[in-house]
Amino acid sequence: MMMKNRDKSYWLFLFPSLFALIMVMFVPLVMGTYYSFTDWNGTRVTQFVGLEHYIRLFSDTDFINSLVFTGKFTLVVIVLINLIGLGLGLLLTRKSKLNTPLRTIFFMPNLIGGIILGFIWQFIFMRSFEAIAELTGLSFFSGWLSTTATGFWGLVILYVWQMSGYIMIIYISFINNIPEDIIEAADIDGASSWQIFWKIKFPMLAPAFTVSLFLTLSGAFKVYDQNMALTGGGPFNSTQMVAMNIFNTAFRDNNMAYAQAKAFTFLIIVVVISVTQLFISRRKEVSL
Amino acid sequence: MRKWTKMLGTLGLSLGILAACGNGNTDGGTASVPADEQVNLDIFNIKVETRDQLEELVARYEELNPHVNISVTTVGGGADAPAALQARFAAGTMPSIFMLGGLSDVELWEDQLLDVADTDAARAAIDGTLDGATLNGVVRGLPYNIEGFGWLINKEIFEQAGINPDSISSFDEFEAAVRKIDSMKDDLGLDAVFAFSGGENWVVSQFSSHFASYAYNNEVGAVADAAVIDWGGAEAFLQKYTDLINEFSIQPIITVDYSMAVEDLFVNGRVAMTHQGNWVVPTLDAIDPTFSTERLGILPFFVADNGTTGTIAAGPSWFWGVNRNADEAVIEESINFLNWLYTSEEGKERMIRDFGFIPAYTGNDSDMITDPVSKRIYEMLAAGQVTPWSHNSYPAGWFQNGLHPQWQRYVAGQIEWDEFIQNSADAWVEARR
Repeated sequence: MMMKNRDKSYWLFLFPSLFALIMVMFVPLVMGTYYSFTDWNGTRVTQFVGLEHYIRLFSDTDFINSLVFTGKFTLVVIVLINLIGLGLGLLLTRKSKLNTPLRTIFFMPNLIGGIILGFIWQFIFMRSFEAIAELTGLSFFSGWLSTTATGFWGLVILYVWQMSGYIMIIYISFINNIPEDIIEAADIDGASSWQIFWKIKFPMLAPAFTVSLFLTLSGAFKVYDQNMALTGGGPFNSTQMVAMNIFNTAFRDNNMAYAQAKAFTFLIIVVVISVTQLFISRRKEVSL
Repeated sequence: MRKWTKMLGTLGLSLGILAACGNGNTDGGTASVPADEQVNLDIFNIKVETRDQLEELVARYEELNPHVNISVTTVGGGADAPAALQARFAAGTMPSIFMLGGLSDVELWEDQLLDVADTDAARAAIDGTLDGATLNGVVRGLPYNIEGFGWLINKEIFEQAGINPDSISSFDEFEAAVRKIDSMKDDLGLDAVFAFSGGENWVVSQFSSHFASYAYNNEVGAVADAAVIDWGGAEAFLQKYTDLINEFSIQPIITVDYSMAVEDLFVNGRVAMTHQGNWVVPTLDAIDPTFSTERLGILPFFVADNGTTGTIAAGPSWFWGVNRNADEAVIEESINFLNWLYTSEEGKERMIRDFGFIPAYTGNDSDMITDPVSKRIYEMLAAGQVTPWSHNSYPAGWFQNGLHPQWQRYVAGQIEWDEFIQNSADAWVEARR
């Protein structure tokens, strides 16, 4: 394209989405940051309180607990989702007639909304598991979601189940993009399929890891609806994730300004971690 | 050529979406009233259960008053409604009439709320029902209706166990009845005596209200002003009741939710009691049409030493607030509407007959109330055997962040009673900040 034309049309086409983005993302971000330094209660600002809210964060055990809980959750689901997603991706790129239907099936949970998934799994954990426990007498299936540990694993199972199929699709597209001739050459040279995976496919998949890790990382940090529908933060608010803690502070406790301070702090944390992850995994990528 | 048509199409589409967003915004606006006599009212309703009835009633009112247009927005209960109202406020489309849950809501919206003391409806309100919306001596809300709660019981099960529920007149007798039913639970086909929704923070909050009312002499204002919660003489009974239900409820009690307790276990006769209010009557009757007339009863709480009469909690759960920053004409018509609702013959009749409400206003015929539990609540209200909805005056967020999680910890055996009292009191101070 000619540069002269590009200048005008570039901005012309960018304008609608840029406008929307500014209105719903940047403006609220700036306003929210300002509010976090005031005593805004959602309806009025009477005074500027400086760093008071940010200092209060350090002694807010509920918020710190939710940060720790979210951190643990994110760590576990990143590993599980990527392992399962990659595993399914490798399985479903082998020559088989079942590939397409199976891909559809594994992807399907991703099409259901988080709230509905939460309620479905709540039923499974609380009713079906309880029924299994009664039938078999296995105490493992009894009392799910009534303790912090079962609440945690309940959330992990739900989220992994929902996201693995999505990540699988990303891996599949990258696996399909690995040139046939390289694999053929390796095959002729006598490499085993194990060696082909580790020495050729795995390094070639590095960009897929970058994308998948980023998506799962940023997604897991921001989980709200699954959390709300499945455990609602219970028992004793011990399975409350950060997004939920912030929402509750804002809309339940009417502590708008304080919630803004939490949200801003959370934003910084997520940005720092995500950018670090992007930076590290980009360096590991190889090019042909 | 094809490229250009595509590009133009994309541009058109994105502009179209933006335009659609713009339209949506102006549709939601209500602040501007046309210069002619038409007045537009905007009601923000939180009670989902009676949305259809409210819409019918509004349609009827518009028929009677052709110059008034009313739009009703209904947002589901729970945490979403206050958030939605906040959003409306932030967008500058504050409704002309909206619902308040109690003093903490009144405090939040004080700057938006009209003083409604000088209305016909306020004058007709039953003594004490305005307290829950009176802040610093100014009446800022009109009671919506009366709702009462306590132990809802399945009278059939009590009869089969040989217990006359009306004869229970102290905590000890209540405990004896619970133990007796428990000992016969296999014969009665029960899973447990109670289905207590320990997973629902609002149920635990309502449960605690009986004790808070006693501790603060039934003055909701005193609860709202308390620097820290002090259960006083009721603390021992709070513990006794908690221990009793924890021992005899469906377990794990901390995951029993509303739906499981009411719509499954209680209505199907698998438990004898649940802690709820008369708002579940339509739900119960929808599952089993004869449940409320044949089996449903209500048992009071005994929160002081033996010899005192049992009480249930009853009072206005919701109040109507009028937006005082609306146009003059809108405010006037808002008040006319509320007066009509509670003081006109038709309004009163609809409230009882269609909504199934217990009226919070005088001049109503109590015989029109059809279900026995609601009638019993109205009678106890008249006899002064009721305590107010004290929990609506707890500081915002306290029962969700303090009371409920700490109570769950206690019943799960994670903390001692003293720690429960201490931790929940600390959370009260924190919520006050």
